[in-house]
Amino acid sequence: MKNEKQKTEDLKVSVIVPVYNGEKHLEQCMDSITGQTLREIEIICVDDGSADRSLEILERYAKKDERVRVICQKNAGAGAARNTGLAQAEGEYLSFLDADDFFEQDMLERAYRKAKEQNAQILVFGSDQYREDLGEFHQVSWTIRKQALPPYRPMNYQTFTENVFKVFVGWTWDKLFERAFVQKYHLKFQEQRTSNDLLFVFTAIVLAERIETEEKILAHQRRGNPESLSNTREQSWQCFYKALTAFRENLVRYGLYYELEQDFINYALHFSLWNLNTIQGEKKKELYKMLKKRWFRELGITGHKKEYFYDKTEYEQYRKMIRFL
Amino acid sequence: MTKVSIVIPIYNVQDYLKECMESVIGQTLESMEIICVNDGSTDQSLDIIKSFQAQDNRIVLLDQKNRGYGYAVNRGISTAKGKYVGIVEPDDYIALDMYLKLYEKAEKYKLDFVKADFYRFTTGEDGEREFYYNHLSPKPQDYNKVFNPSKNPETLRYIMNTWSGIYRRDFLEKYQIRHNETPGASFQDNGFWIQTFVYGGRAMIIDKPYYRNRRDNPGSSVNSREKVYCINIEYDHIRSMLIKKPEVWERFKYMYWFKKYHNYMGTLWRIGDEYREEYVHRFSRELKRGMALGEIKKEVFSETAWNHIQSMTENPEKYYFGRVYSKSVDEKVFARINELEIQNQKLKNEIAQIRRSKSFRLGRLLLSLPIKLKKIAGGRKG
Repeated sequence: MKNEKQKTEDLKVSVIVPVYNGEKHLEQCMDSITGQTLREIEIICVDDGSADRSLEILERYAKKDERVRVICQKNAGAGAARNTGLAQAEGEYLSFLDADDFFEQDMLERAYRKAKEQNAQILVFGSDQYREDLGEFHQVSWTIRKQALPPYRPMNYQTFTENVFKVFVGWTWDKLFERAFVQKYHLKFQEQRTSNDLLFVFTAIVLAERIETEEKILAHQRRGNPESLSNTREQSWQCFYKALTAFRENLVRYGLYYELEQDFINYALHFSLWNLNTIQGEKKKELYKMLKKRWFRELGITGHKKEYFYDKTEYEQYRKMIRFL
Repeated sequence: MTKVSIVIPIYNVQDYLKECMESVIGQTLESMEIICVNDGSTDQSLDIIKSFQAQDNRIVLLDQKNRGYGYAVNRGISTAKGKYVGIVEPDDYIALDMYLKLYEKAEKYKLDFVKADFYRFTTGEDGEREFYYNHLSPKPQDYNKVFNPSKNPETLRYIMNTWSGIYRRDFLEKYQIRHNETPGASFQDNGFWIQTFVYGGRAMIIDKPYYRNRRDNPGSSVNSREKVYCINIEYDHIRSMLIKKPEVWERFKYMYWFKKYHNYMGTLWRIGDEYREEYVHRFSRELKRGMALGEIKKEVFSETAWNHIQSMTENPEKYYFGRVYSKSVDEKVFARINELEIQNQKLKNEIAQIRRSKSFRLGRLLLSLPIKLKKIAGGRKG
């Protein structure tokens, strides 16, 4: 809170980092944020009731760097933590980062510059995956689907030539959001354990009039071995469904559902199957049953012909699942 | 109530404006309002309008900073007070009985809009104009009868133009029919035109040409990326407008794509060579997307057009090299041959002229004189 008044006007980016038991990588993450070449930033760390040394680490950074602010809350999930940060943010753009990722030094500088050039409401930048088990950086092409983007500007979802919801990923950390834009539509994160960013990101994507990309790889997402599935989703296996239905409500509210129905349904199938294929343990069966009995129908997937689906492999998996209904 | 309001969006047209204004002011229909929207002209256009305004109090002048065609026309329409509204481009001109005739039809048949055939004209180097008659529809039976475009998407096949007719103003108001206002864009008449058809309940086309549309440099190519994709932006805009109403979109989506396809094709051949490959790729991806969404139907296209669509979506690379690049190389070769032939002809003409000149003849005579004299002398000998 030091010098807040005089800083506010030229604050270019508010970085919001929800932290929950992240001591292992937190220092690397914080170093790569505080070391950003773009200096006019504020860093809002929201400790979401960590039980490890996270808070201690954060407070050390706050002491060293007056741009760092720490907010504590009882454990309520990353969605709630991001909302807490969002409510406090005063920068021109918002960056929601995750505590286990790390970033190029000029990430915010480049992203901010490109966003300003086009007066963009959303800026998406390139990223790759850091495979911790292998110690390697892996290229990923699907975080920005270049071939679906228009060669002209302004760019918005209407100019995309592929499923609007697969052109970018429904997470926040590879994007900047203009704060005025977020405020105008009162965009908020869903307060649930997982898939809490989908609603925020996708709603922003369909409402933005100007989206821009910076294709240079600026962030590194830390990933474990994809084969060893995390069991964090086991307690929250329903979250993705709630994210999808909440997002659909937004589409309806903004009069966009008719236009985007086919993309939504295709994405809903894609996301459902991804959740099913990557969950393990007891809940997998439960999810399987739930999709088959209710959710496929409630998401509007049921009843469409093959040509309605963009990805025939996904369609075949769905067909197999409902065969013996 | 004023019978017809004319909107003239004006931007740097000093050479043509006088002829245009005279044809509007001289209309046999007197009850008119002439709304000139000066869109930040940097030439003498504003002065010209002012001098007309001094003579005719039916002229309303709206002066603004440059904000683009769409905004300028919209502002004119929103200012209009007449029962009907017409648009005239300031480099065109019109027959003196145009608005009287259109007004009578619109009143008699209670039309939302009425449109007439028109002439396009080109101007030769000698200032001579050549006129080409444009039929809105190739079918004579489409003319001079009331039709309902909102129920007949096929009528989108009529030639697109917004200025050869008049629109009832409360019809435009009811459906908020306006142009896209994105600055710097063009083709903004497409969206306006499509909306008049999508919402129009009573319309008529007339087989009399009143409007004279200037096409002085139809071959002028488009040479900036921004301009290249203006048509795409306009069709994105049209789609997002129509799709807000599901029943409208369901009815018109196929003809929307028909119109879009032909406009994109026109663009492909109008843009600079260096943009064509990229344009084909974008075109192909948009077509594929349209097909995935079930918006494109074979039946609305001619066999040739459908063949183009198929080969462009199957393999845009091949399409570009086989059907665009090679053709533009041919065009260039032909153009060069043409150039050389013209040069050749010019040189020949020059030679002929020289041959005919007195000095040449005299010179030749002098040169050949000794030989001739010899011949004469020799003749004597012989």
